[in-house]
Amino acid sequence: MALLGFLIGFPLVIAILLFCIRNEAARSVLVIGGAIVIAVASVVTVALHLSSGFVAFACSSEIIDYVCTAIGVIIAVVIVYFAVRFKNILAGALAVVQVVLSLVFEFGFAHGVHVEYGLYLDNLSLLMTVIIGVVGSGICVYALGYMKDFQAHEPEGAKDRRPFFFGLMFLFLSAMYVIVFSNNMVWLFTGWEITTVCSFLLIGYTRTEEALNNAFRQIIMNLLGGIAFVVALFLCAIQLNTLTFQEFLAYGLLAPAAVTLAVVCLAFAGITKAAQMPFHTWLLGAMVAPTPTSALLHSSTMVKAGVFMLVKLAPVLALSPIPSTMVVLIGGVTFLLCSCMAISQSNAKRVLAYSTIANLGLITACAGVGTPEAVWAACFLILFHAVAKSLLFLCVGTAEHHIGSRNIEDMDLLFERMPRLARFMMLGIMCMFIAPFGMLLAKWATLVSFVDAHQIVLILLLAFGSAATFMFWAKWMGKLAGIAGEPQNVELTVHKSEWGAIVTMVLLIIVACVCLPIISALVVEPYVYSVYGLTGQGISDGNLWIAAILSALVIVVLLFGLERKSKAKKADAYLAGVSADNEARTYRNSLSQTQEASARNWYMDNIFGEHIITMPAHVGTAAIIAAAFVYAIVRLFV
Amino acid sequence: MAFASKSPWVIHYDGSSCNGCDIEVLATLCPGYDAERFGVINTGNPKHADIFLVTGSVNEQNIKVIQEIYNQMLEPKVVVACGICACTGGIFHDCYNVIGGVDKAIPVDVYAPGCAVRPETLIDAVVAGIAALDEKSKTMKNTKKRGEE
Amino acid sequence: MLVNILIGTVAFALLAPIVGCLLAGLDRKLSARMQGRVGPPILQPYYDVRKLLGKENAHVANTEGVYIVCALVMAIFAGGIFFGGGNLLMSAFVITLSALFFIVAAYCTRSPYAELGAHRETLQVMAYEPMVLLFAVAFYMAAGSFNAGAVFGLEVPAIAKIWLAFIGLLFILTIKLRKSPFDLSMSHHAHQELVRGVTTEMSGPTLAKVEIMHWYENVLFMGWVGLFFVWGNPISLVLAVVVCLAVYFLEIFIDNNFARVKWQSMLKWSWVVALICGGINIFALALL
Repeated sequence: MALLGFLIGFPLVIAILLFCIRNEAARSVLVIGGAIVIAVASVVTVALHLSSGFVAFACSSEIIDYVCTAIGVIIAVVIVYFAVRFKNILAGALAVVQVVLSLVFEFGFAHGVHVEYGLYLDNLSLLMTVIIGVVGSGICVYALGYMKDFQAHEPEGAKDRRPFFFGLMFLFLSAMYVIVFSNNMVWLFTGWEITTVCSFLLIGYTRTEEALNNAFRQIIMNLLGGIAFVVALFLCAIQLNTLTFQEFLAYGLLAPAAVTLAVVCLAFAGITKAAQMPFHTWLLGAMVAPTPTSALLHSSTMVKAGVFMLVKLAPVLALSPIPSTMVVLIGGVTFLLCSCMAISQSNAKRVLAYSTIANLGLITACAGVGTPEAVWAACFLILFHAVAKSLLFLCVGTAEHHIGSRNIEDMDLLFERMPRLARFMMLGIMCMFIAPFGMLLAKWATLVSFVDAHQIVLILLLAFGSAATFMFWAKWMGKLAGIAGEPQNVELTVHKSEWGAIVTMVLLIIVACVCLPIISALVVEPYVYSVYGLTGQGISDGNLWIAAILSALVIVVLLFGLERKSKAKKADAYLAGVSADNEARTYRNSLSQTQEASARNWYMDNIFGEHIITMPAHVGTAAIIAAAFVYAIVRLFV
Repeated sequence: MAFASKSPWVIHYDGSSCNGCDIEVLATLCPGYDAERFGVINTGNPKHADIFLVTGSVNEQNIKVIQEIYNQMLEPKVVVACGICACTGGIFHDCYNVIGGVDKAIPVDVYAPGCAVRPETLIDAVVAGIAALDEKSKTMKNTKKRGEE
Repeated sequence: MLVNILIGTVAFALLAPIVGCLLAGLDRKLSARMQGRVGPPILQPYYDVRKLLGKENAHVANTEGVYIVCALVMAIFAGGIFFGGGNLLMSAFVITLSALFFIVAAYCTRSPYAELGAHRETLQVMAYEPMVLLFAVAFYMAAGSFNAGAVFGLEVPAIAKIWLAFIGLLFILTIKLRKSPFDLSMSHHAHQELVRGVTTEMSGPTLAKVEIMHWYENVLFMGWVGLFFVWGNPISLVLAVVVCLAVYFLEIFIDNNFARVKWQSMLKWSWVVALICGGINIFALALL
């Protein structure tokens, strides 16, 4: 238990120190040291508890409860302060509603309910621990170099607010640990709200109008989820007289009908946090923030808290049709439509955002299906998405600072301009969408679980969504792979801290892909077994090993096999016989002028454009959620 | 066995001409004469072609194009000048912009005269070209072997 | 199972080119006959490849050669997994990986024609991928296993239950075999607006590898077709081969009788067919 306390407390201490320290060298030392300690502590935690399965720790304290209440009030004050300052009534009102509700709950109901086991650990928490500890802190290290460049690009005399930035990053990690370790639902809720407000502050970091608008959109959507969470707390306390998460889940398994509304509320909270439709716009807006923020929000924290909650609820969802239908449909539809919309985007971060939302949709759908196979798939989707997506964000961030654009069109010829980075980026992309890499294996398991659960609609959504996924990743990869002329290598000035973080992610991907069968046997299968008493590996070990071998092969080729130098003759590209400068791909046109032959990517905006898909998607998904709520409320009273 | 002669893929370029030979070349590749019997394919891409069929004369405008297409073809390769204009400049020989036959731009292996060149002549020329192709591929193999030794 | 797949891979690597080459030769002969021509010898594809292998080795970007080797190797693995009785989905995924390498090989040359071909090839993958997945799912629901080897335990061939999915597969097979009306990214016929699309910049030995890869692919796809007609009875293998030949003939017939369609039509129709054929078939199986 001491380790859990350390994992929660240590990032908090670092965060407080970072808030105070303005010296850059000291900050670097603190961030790197802190990140290493957190990563090591996470790995140690995993190593020590890997075989122990579910462990609950007796931990209850009035003081912590009061601290939670105080934090809740502080959060509300922060939000109201910003709402007043930037005149956003809705955000302020929601924050007031939430804090009033939670105070009423705290002093009216919660004190009658005693939670003996405040903390717990199981293999899912361990998986999340590694993701938060290694991926999350890796991103913090990356931010050192990135924010240095970022600050350099700021106008002269701009206030250096990096202490605030780094403090928030580490606070985020601490809150995430609270979420994955808390058995006490009030503590869980507190962690939940801290992540909400942290991401609010991080998104609004630049204080531009766009950033502020997007930050407020985020906070409004997540406050809705937060309020639903409080309602769930009320229901638990009143109906079931418990605030222990595990007990709540156990009740849910015994009498699913009784907890329908609570489950719908919690699932709703998870859906808002995981940026599922119709709430996906906050995550799209979040990309105005500096890239490390996006990486943190997308890969290891924030949205992962949402799906973590949903995966925890999965066994209950499997038994309660209405919440399950809601979660399954929202997840499936989000996967399909966001994959399609990603085709129409040229902004790399926006493509990544859509892909994140889509993959979270898949995890959400898996949680909704709730069978052991689906949960197995969901765990691997979480893992692989975290490592691959963080790698991609970090790569895009570095590329942006060195080529001056985050547009995919400008990443033309990156293979030569930033040779190492482009290869890493291609690895990240391949890991996201193609066999034999982890993400696709997880998708495969997802498909198997859908088939076994007879979720026909989901199968169709998955089949078409995957096809769209292929389109937007392949064309991006093609852009990166291009080679022409002898462009200048611009990656020599990339910060060491950035390389350190990027290489860490690459190693994580390699380990995760090649050791997938082992991870399944040691981490994921025991979790599934502890929850269901059944094994859930939908893909046989033999196939996993084949995939592991093939992915090792592809990784070797990708990282070491693509040398441009060779003994073979260098040929010119075919330009219909009228090249002007073949290396530059220019030709003489029919007016004897020199013209460049260039191809843009293909966006199919009038088929998959946002303007076509967004509106119906919003209406449809909102209707699904509304219907689920209405049904659950009616069931409560009838 | 030399496989170069079994699958002569051609590319066809029309220079400064009246288009008569041009039409005949395509006619040769059409079902009536069915050049594919001998493995001939009209590729439209110098990188895939073994035999370069040029019709028409060379002028200031197209000399670079002819040279570029020729350079983009991979060894072993053969050039056939189809029709009298391609051989010598023909009726256009004293035009202000005409340089002359194809051999003014690139080395020519086979000359197929005619105005317009007949499909039978063309087939004969391609057969002669194939022999040249075989010869070149043998030389290439030998130099390669010697190079390895 | 791993041993089976290993044996399957070796056997596929050795035998499939022979079958694939003959199929390709047959294709050209039959096409010629349908056009009232004599056509080349059956072994013409072999001659072509041998000639290409003997040509000078030249690269635009050099990496395209590496990608093509990867594509070829993955095609062999995909076939090995399938004919070794392995997982159908795995086979489908690995052949998609092969398609990706093929696409990236075209992209990396940064040649306008190849790039356009690559765009279209990507689109083609997007068009046929749903039906491939649905075909695998339908097969799983009918045979009770994703393993191709499971057919030998069946009492009735899978076609009895998933004939609708079979029709869907036939539809997208036209895309996979690069036949008109869906040969958008590259065509085996001469002179087109894309020069040679995806393979524009691939020449000599590299192009030879592409051709060999197509042989492997075609045999694999024919294997998918035959899968529908095999059951516990060994004679069914003969039936499967006959059906494969008939399907191949049908594809050649279609190739020779249709003009190329626009990409919008291809995408729309292949998704509609996937939705109807695949969707309804799976839905019906789930109800039963």
